[in-house]
Amino acid sequence: MSKVRPDTLSKARELSLAGLLGALGLLLPIGFHALGWGGKIFLPMHLPILVGGFLLNASIAGSLGLIVPLLSAVLTGMPPLAPPVAPLMAIELLIKGSVASFAYRRLRLPLAAALLLALISDWLVLALAAFGLAEFFRIEDSPLIYVGGAIALSWPGTVLQAAIAPLAVRVIEQRVPRLAEARRRR
Amino acid sequence: MAVTSALSIENLSYSYPNAGTAIENVSFSIASGERVALLGANGAGKSTLLWCLVGVLPAQGRVWVGGTLLGHGTEREIRRNLALAFSEPDDQLFMLTVERDVTFGPLAAGDDLETANEKALRAAAEVGLRTELMQRPPHELSSGEKRRAALAAILVSGPKVLALDEPTNSLDAPGRQALAETLAGLDCAQLIATHDLGFASQLCTRALVMVEGRLVDDTDLSDLLADRERLIQYGLATESRA
Amino acid sequence: MTSSVDLYVRGNSPLHRLDVRAKVIALTGFLIATILAPTRPIWPSVALFVMLGIGIAVAHLGLELVVKRLGGLTLVIGVPFLLSRFGSLPTQLAGEMFALKSLLVASAFLLLTSTTRAETVLDLAVRVPVVGGLGALAAFILRGMHVLIGEVMRTNRSWALRAPGASLKVKVSGLTSASISLLGRAAARSERVGAAMVLRGFDGALPVSVADPLPRHHLAAGFAIAIVSLLVGSISRWL
Repeated sequence: MSKVRPDTLSKARELSLAGLLGALGLLLPIGFHALGWGGKIFLPMHLPILVGGFLLNASIAGSLGLIVPLLSAVLTGMPPLAPPVAPLMAIELLIKGSVASFAYRRLRLPLAAALLLALISDWLVLALAAFGLAEFFRIEDSPLIYVGGAIALSWPGTVLQAAIAPLAVRVIEQRVPRLAEARRRR
Repeated sequence: MAVTSALSIENLSYSYPNAGTAIENVSFSIASGERVALLGANGAGKSTLLWCLVGVLPAQGRVWVGGTLLGHGTEREIRRNLALAFSEPDDQLFMLTVERDVTFGPLAAGDDLETANEKALRAAAEVGLRTELMQRPPHELSSGEKRRAALAAILVSGPKVLALDEPTNSLDAPGRQALAETLAGLDCAQLIATHDLGFASQLCTRALVMVEGRLVDDTDLSDLLADRERLIQYGLATESRA
Repeated sequence: MTSSVDLYVRGNSPLHRLDVRAKVIALTGFLIATILAPTRPIWPSVALFVMLGIGIAVAHLGLELVVKRLGGLTLVIGVPFLLSRFGSLPTQLAGEMFALKSLLVASAFLLLTSTTRAETVLDLAVRVPVVGGLGALAAFILRGMHVLIGEVMRTNRSWALRAPGASLKVKVSGLTSASISLLGRAAARSERVGAAMVLRGFDGALPVSVADPLPRHHLAAGFAIAIVSLLVGSISRWL
């Protein structure tokens, strides 16, 4: 007997998994804010997007990163659309999710290496944005101060991602063996 | 094996990767309009069997639905004729409104919006889903209403066979009664996987019993319910402590 | 359970009833006007604020709600503005522009999100070519959010997190395990939802139904707001 055409079922499952991880990307920040833990410090939205990057293909992982901050801005008002924190986060997470996926699923790097690449790509986006904004607003101080400050402030979030993302990926790959197999098969 | 039955299965077997055999050499058939209870304790393989029938799990063996053999190229036709109601209706309500969920099937099949809406309203009426709920998001519905909405979403395409996986999960007594009345009013053949013997006895006259992945009995349901020893042997009842 | 996380405020005002497509047209015009409006002289920006004030009054949103929602932006707008005061003249001007335009845009989005259900926007987004895929993903996220809210409420650990006076260790451990548990369940659920989609005929793209035609008077209203905004925002450039 034949089974379902794998591409359609996989696409449906990816869309569904992306939806649920995106939902976590909306809810975790709400939970953190309810506990009084700052979003800029713990970066709760980054965690499900990063996990999505490791489990989904690059285009859908990137789309997830793009959509979640914007949807959160529209639904909850945070991050704000103006000033353009949400659009900047959208680009940041688009890159982060795509890089994580490409490194882990396409290049098949070890998870730690893929995680590091994803974090570096995130910081590069922040640096570029800071330089761009500095040019636009003609700010004379070195934008690296702001980038360095943002990275330093969010070290708990970086630690959280480094600690939890690999664990979460393992948990999900155990619950859904198909995901680990798909990575190995590529 | 008669391929004129509504549903026929021959030597169906499936093993999960890195796990034991889930179902083994299961064979039976169901006639048009017949309602059959698929009984078994938790882990007997009832849900696995249902997933195999719709081709989501790649089982060995053969499945005919209305004379069509499940295989490459026939999955769509099979799924139009064999609908599966999940144990958790939330898993089947994935659109933003109930209406979008119910019209999903007809629109995916190529119907225009007007036809899809007409079919949706008929399906909603068939399962007793109030029309005003159609524009609501699924999360605003009660358990019973979600169950009806999910049923409407799968009945809208007019299947010949309806398979239900633990349909009374999270339903209270009035909810179970209402569901039984709804299912009794449907024309299609039904295969109801459940461990709720009372619910099964309201609807079905025949029972298929699964134990550890094997079909061990195909019998009259009322005879089975009257035979406590057999119920205990099949894991459908426990010995009384009194 | 109804959603308690979005910004929609129930109402039946003309703005609530205005078709979302007309609102998007109006918003687009307003955003362009915001970009065009100079910081000095300030009166075009003031005029745009007056337009927003009229919108808020028409929508019966109430000053308290507006202050509460915009108040959350005090830090992100106020701090850079205050810091810019200590800089050179270009930096000060940049700070003014930043604060003014941020407030205008934030208020405009507040008006839109308070008078439009997110589901309505997403329902429309799914039907748009190119962005339809992103709209579909957003719709799935929204649906997933409501399902997860139900699951979180049922998860025992979430109550421990809400216990007042819980130690940091309990909070961290509880949040971590709840998140991981949710992720695992979400993945398992996504397999079933994906199967549900395929069983109902999903073939790689969500079935798209044609949107109802946009009523002419709604379209006219949307364009009217957009054009007035553009005139107000840009008029100082011609005078």
